Amino acid sequence: MFREKYHRMNEQISPDQELVNKIIHSVDEPKRETNKAKYFFRRPITIVAMLMVLVLTATPVLAANVPAVYKLMYFVSPTVAQFFIPVQKSCEDNGIRMEVVSSYIHDDTAEIYITMQDLIGDRIDETTDLYDSYSINRPFDSSATCQRVGYDKTTKKETFLISIKEWGNKKIIGDKISFSVREFLSGKHEYNEIPMAIDLTNINNTQAIKLVSIKGGSGPKFKEYVPNFESKVKVLVPSAPMDFPVKGIDFTGIGYVDGMLHIQTSVVDNLTKDNHGYFFLSDKNENKIQCAYSVGFAENSDSANRVDFDEYVFDIPQAEIGQYSLYGTFATSGLFTEGNWQVTFPLEEIKNN
Amino acid sequence: MEQQSLRMNDCLENVVKEYSKMVYRLAFSQTRNKSDADDIFQEVFYRYIRKKPQFKTEEHRKAWLIRVTVNCCKKMWTSIWIGKKLSLIVQKDEPIVFKMKEETNLHYELQKLPMKYRAVIHLFYYEDLSIEEISKALNQKPSTIRTQLTRARYKLKEILKEDYDV
Repeated sequence: MFREKYHRMNEQISPDQELVNKIIHSVDEPKRETNKAKYFFRRPITIVAMLMVLVLTATPVLAANVPAVYKLMYFVSPTVAQFFIPVQKSCEDNGIRMEVVSSYIHDDTAEIYITMQDLIGDRIDETTDLYDSYSINRPFDSSATCQRVGYDKTTKKETFLISIKEWGNKKIIGDKISFSVREFLSGKHEYNEIPMAIDLTNINNTQAIKLVSIKGGSGPKFKEYVPNFESKVKVLVPSAPMDFPVKGIDFTGIGYVDGMLHIQTSVVDNLTKDNHGYFFLSDKNENKIQCAYSVGFAENSDSANRVDFDEYVFDIPQAEIGQYSLYGTFATSGLFTEGNWQVTFPLEEIKNN
Repeated sequence: MEQQSLRMNDCLENVVKEYSKMVYRLAFSQTRNKSDADDIFQEVFYRYIRKKPQFKTEEHRKAWLIRVTVNCCKKMWTSIWIGKKLSLIVQKDEPIVFKMKEETNLHYELQKLPMKYRAVIHLFYYEDLSIEEISKALNQKPSTIRTQLTRARYKLKEILKEDYDV
C-alpha cells in the first residue's frame, strides 16, 4: 500500500540536529537570524539594485509585437517582463492554436509564456484548465509547473506561464524542450448557494443502504464516523437520477440512516469533467449548518463507465429537519476538448551587446 | 495589549522539538532535496520567531506551521531569484539515503508528481489529515482540496503504475 510505504520513507527524513539547535539558539542571535533569512527572500531594495545592474548590462528584447501577452507578463511580473525574448512557435490541431510566445532563461530556471486560442469557436475561455494533461519534455532532470495567467477577451487567447527549474543548479541554455497538451476543460459554471427544491419533511428513513470502501472524506465528525480509510462506510444505495438543478451532477439519493440525513450525488466519468460541490442546511435565522462529514466513493473505478459518488451526512434529527432548508454550491465544466498540441523550441538566453 | 497564549508550551525550544520533523518532512515532500528543505525549515522557524504568533490551541499552531511551510515552498519555487539565491549560497546537496531500495525508488518517482499536489498528498497520506483539516491549514475550500487530492491520486497512479495501491 502506498500509505505504508510513504510513511516508512518519511520516517527516515529528519532535520540535522545541528540545524534544529541553530534554530533554538537563534533567539539569542538576532543578527544571524536576519542574515540567514536574507539568503532566502531577498529584500526589495536588493532586488531593485540587482535589476538596475542587469538592465544596464543586458539588452532586453522586448516582446512588443505580442501586446496582449506582454501586458499580462507585465501584470504578473513587471520587473522581469522585459527580459523575455520572443519565441513565437505554434501548432494547430482541432481548430485550436497553441503558441510559445516568449521565454526567459536565467541560470537553471526557464520561464515560458504560452497561449491557446480557439480559431473556430469559443472553447477557450477564462475558465480554461489544462487539467494536468500538459507535459513538458526536456533532456535534463527538472521540476516544472504550469499556471494560468489570464484571458484576453479581444483575441480569445488564454495565457499560461510554465516554469522549469533544473535540479543540480546547472545552466539549461542550449537545450530544447517540448511542451504538449492533450486535453483541456473549459466552460466552467458555478452555482453559488442555490436553494434545493426538496421537501425535507418528507424524507424516507427506510432507504436501502450498502457498505463501501471510500476514496476520501472530510468534515468535523469524519474521524468519529470513519476511524480509518480502510473501514467500510454505510452509504445510500444510489437511485436513478432525480430532479436536480445542476447539469453535470446527478442527484442519486436522500434518506435518513441511523438518525442522520444522507444526501448523495454522483458524476459519470468525472475524470473528464471535474464537477464538484457541497450542500449545507440553513435555519430560519439563515445560520449555515455544514455536514458532519462527507465521503467519496466510486463504482466501476477502472472502466470507462466510472461513476464518482459523494455522500453528505448531516447530524440533524429527523424531527427537527423541517426547520431547515437545503442549499448547494457547485462547479461544473461544460466542455472537454481533446487534441494533440505540441511545440518544440530551444532555450535561448538574452544576448549581451 | 498583547494577546496571551493559552498554551504552556510556547517556549521556542518546545515548539521546535515538537514540530521540527513535521515541518521538515513537509518541506522535503515538496522540494525532494535536502538543501532546499533545510532552507525552508529555517525560514519557517525564523518567521515563527519574528512574528511570535499566539495560538489558542495546538491545532492552530500546527495549521499555522503547515501553511507557512507550504507558502515558503511556493515562494521559493516562484521566486525569480531562485537562480541567484542558489548561486549565492554554498551548495550542499547531499543525496538522501533510504534503508530500502524501494523507498529510494519511491523518492525518485515522487519527483515526477507536479509540485501543486505534493503538499496535499503528504498531509493526507503522512500527516493523516482529513480534507477538512487540510483545507483549513492551507486556507482553501474543501472542494478544492478534494479535487487536488483526486487529481493527485490519478497522477500518482500514472507515475507509480501498478507498483502501489494508491
